[in-house]
Amino acid sequence: MSEMQMALTNTAGITSVMSFWVFAAANGFKNRKNLLVKIGSGTLILAFTSLTAAIIIRGIDAQRFPLANLYESLLWFAWATMGGYLLLAKAYGVRQLGWLASLTALLMFLYGSWLPQSQHDIQPLVPALVSYWRWIHVPPLIISYALFFLGGLSGFIQLYQAGRIPSLVSAAITVVLALSAVVLGTFTSVDTAWLQILFAGASLVGSVISFRLLQHIDKTRGDLRSAEIYDDVSYRCIAIGMPALTFGIITGGLWANHAWGTYWSWDPKESMALVTWLSYAAYIHLRVHRECSAEKLALVSIVGLLLTLMTFLGFNSLGLGGLHSYGKFK
Amino acid sequence: MNIESDKNEPKTKTSVKNVLASVKLTIFLMSLTALTVLAGAWCPQESASGKEKVVEQFGPDAASLLSQLGITDIYHSPWFLSLIAMLTLNMIACSFMRVFPRVKLLSKPLPFLAGKDIGKFPVNASVVLAKEEKSALASVALKLASKGFKVSTSEEKLLAEYGKYGRLAATVTHIGLLTLLVGVTITSWTGFSGFQPVLLNSHLDFHESEHSKLWVGKLPDWTVRVDATRREDHPTGEPKQWFSKLTVLGKDGKELVTQEISVNTPLSYKGVDIYQSSWGLDHIVLNFNGNERRLDLRPMGKLYAAFLPLDKDTMMLFSVRCDGSPIKVFAKRPDWEAPRIISEISKDKPAKLGPVSIMLVKTMPVTGLQYKCDPGLPVTYAAFAFIIIGVLMAAIPHRHVWVSLETASPAAKPSGDGSDEIATGMQSAEKGNQKVLYFGGRSVKAKVGFERLVKDLERQIAAEFGESNIVPVLKTHIDVESDSQKQVNPEKAGSKKEQVLAGTASGAGNTENAQGES
Ligand code: HEM
Repeated sequence: MSEMQMALTNTAGITSVMSFWVFAAANGFKNRKNLLVKIGSGTLILAFTSLTAAIIIRGIDAQRFPLANLYESLLWFAWATMGGYLLLAKAYGVRQLGWLASLTALLMFLYGSWLPQSQHDIQPLVPALVSYWRWIHVPPLIISYALFFLGGLSGFIQLYQAGRIPSLVSAAITVVLALSAVVLGTFTSVDTAWLQILFAGASLVGSVISFRLLQHIDKTRGDLRSAEIYDDVSYRCIAIGMPALTFGIITGGLWANHAWGTYWSWDPKESMALVTWLSYAAYIHLRVHRECSAEKLALVSIVGLLLTLMTFLGFNSLGLGGLHSYGKFK
Repeated sequence: MNIESDKNEPKTKTSVKNVLASVKLTIFLMSLTALTVLAGAWCPQESASGKEKVVEQFGPDAASLLSQLGITDIYHSPWFLSLIAMLTLNMIACSFMRVFPRVKLLSKPLPFLAGKDIGKFPVNASVVLAKEEKSALASVALKLASKGFKVSTSEEKLLAEYGKYGRLAATVTHIGLLTLLVGVTITSWTGFSGFQPVLLNSHLDFHESEHSKLWVGKLPDWTVRVDATRREDHPTGEPKQWFSKLTVLGKDGKELVTQEISVNTPLSYKGVDIYQSSWGLDHIVLNFNGNERRLDLRPMGKLYAAFLPLDKDTMMLFSVRCDGSPIKVFAKRPDWEAPRIISEISKDKPAKLGPVSIMLVKTMPVTGLQYKCDPGLPVTYAAFAFIIIGVLMAAIPHRHVWVSLETASPAAKPSGDGSDEIATGMQSAEKGNQKVLYFGGRSVKAKVGFERLVKDLERQIAAEFGESNIVPVLKTHIDVESDSQKQVNPEKAGSKKEQVLAGTASGAGNTENAQGES
């Protein structure tokens, strides 16, 4: 990793931490809110710009499109989350989402920085990845994951603004448990079977409980007007994430067909992407069918976030993606 | 508007046809399918990684249970296939009963609306004009057109539409999905595929092809010979690319085509594609004092190795990196910590180990060839295109804006709830019998952005043509809030009828149902 690239990545990491705190403070100090939101946005723009530069320089250093391993996809994910938020903020003025977007980006930076050095180093590609398809196929997927995350996070704020605090807390605990399963799976040698149970169990039980808790409403919290905005934002994220995911899955199929002669082989990671795709297709149908309250849809978007997390990071870290090893000769 | 569309849909009849065409069933089936695929992603599949893998991972008891439940080969299980069949039926029923008929609505023109109707939309506003009434309307038209709206006007009324073709999203996507099924079926009934490791100078034939049980295809009578195969490395020793030079041989042995393939560049001949899918070294042939002996190689990290036991304790080990590179000879004894290198042999440099002279005869590479014949592919690819375009179209919001320029009179006072706010504007208009510009509309999807658009429009018109710079009517904000209260809590909203009525007060709900039926 060149020094320039390191410096830029670190700048992006540090500024994302700063913007997180400033945005969080903006929610606390109501009277300084506007100023703090401005500072937060400025810091986040700085983080976004330096990360953009870091990714470009990494590409130049590596003489290839810089999206080939986990570390690089984490950088891209953070980049898309920040960029997606900045666009949403511009279109909708959704400042509440700021601290969650910064938090997501900074968690990705942390996760990335804990990865072993070999991930940070620029390494040669295995034959299967040497193809122009790589930059057609992978970026839309990462971007769709980031949008689905933003959609789920908007779902959280929607729940808050609609006063569904118990449901919100239960959903938040669920996501934290799922995330910790992923982190433990990546960085410790805990038996992956337990972590799979942790992830799946937490997701299942947590989702059911969150749905049940929806009926508890705290009328003193939140703002219904805002709830409606976040409902809409969540839908926008998913409506745009869905074509990106579809494009990513299909170009993946075209690439596989080009390289191996089959566009679908039920590889676990492929299947997981299909699960995510189906769940968002269900979300879209729930929407157009309009029999579902905004809060239920918010919870569906959070379930979607869990599936996205599973597809993006869960499969490899929980020991399920092992079948897909390139260039291995049996 | 919603009431009408609701009436059009049979409510209580639960005939088989209606269940089959219900979106509830769709969501139910999609969730089940997602869970099934999830199970398939979690459990190693016999067809991909073999039975042993399942046993290795879960132990023999659990493995046989999983196998009995069909989870170890879930994508071929009757359960999964019937799910897909149900989804297909559901989609066909929905498509023909609900989705495709909507296409007709596209060409149905919508009427221009008067101020009192416009006031019923969830997003609406009005500006009391001070001057140049006509040009105010023209200015709105221009502003909407610049935002991508298609504008039509008639005297003092205006109707603008955005994202009309976004309404075809469902149709296009579903046509794509049905086409995909057709493509996959064609392939499964007429195509075949397989994998064969082929040694240098040997032949690929198609005898061990895999195809479905309901197969009506035919296997080729030509074969493929591997004339050369090699590996190219990165400077670090990691493999960079694999190549194989292939020649297609006719039934009579005639050479028909020769081509070098590599990963990502296959050979295509008569509808069959042959891919470079893996590469390795299979064996070495060594000559020991005149006796040839073949030793099988096994991959060991970046190298390949062969083992030759000499006696009870001593093992000879030959390691080779790629064909053409010299072979390192090691000896291993239990009392040594690591194998010791004892010699190196290459094609033109035999080794002498005591009384034995060892010569390298050849290193035999093996190329892993994947082949397939996929006659449904063009159909499948067309389906992919439809699906991508369809879901892209689903992201386009569909919006209508109605504008009406009217002389304010008590009769024109917009009705509906929230009229208190409108009254402010009305009063000032009534005084001088002034002209009022009413505008409002609805957006399916991306409603907040639409509200912003209408508000911006209101602000601009008020600034340019308004009686004063004060925005006279600001109903939107409050209206939406009270509306959201109803939406937020539909369980509490009582009967379905009430909900529908609430939907009316807030104008169109959030589906396409309301479109074009006012
Ligand atoms: C398998 C059975 C399926 C059935 C029965 C079904 C049924 C429907 C129905 C009834 C609509 C509403 C149409 C309207 O109100 O205009 C719809 C919309 C839609 N469906 Fe499906 N669908 C199925 C599968 C899928 C899948 C797998 C996708 C993949 C993404 C999909 C994508 C869409 C899209 C994009 C829309 C339009 C949504 C919008 O307007 O925003 N459908 N579907």
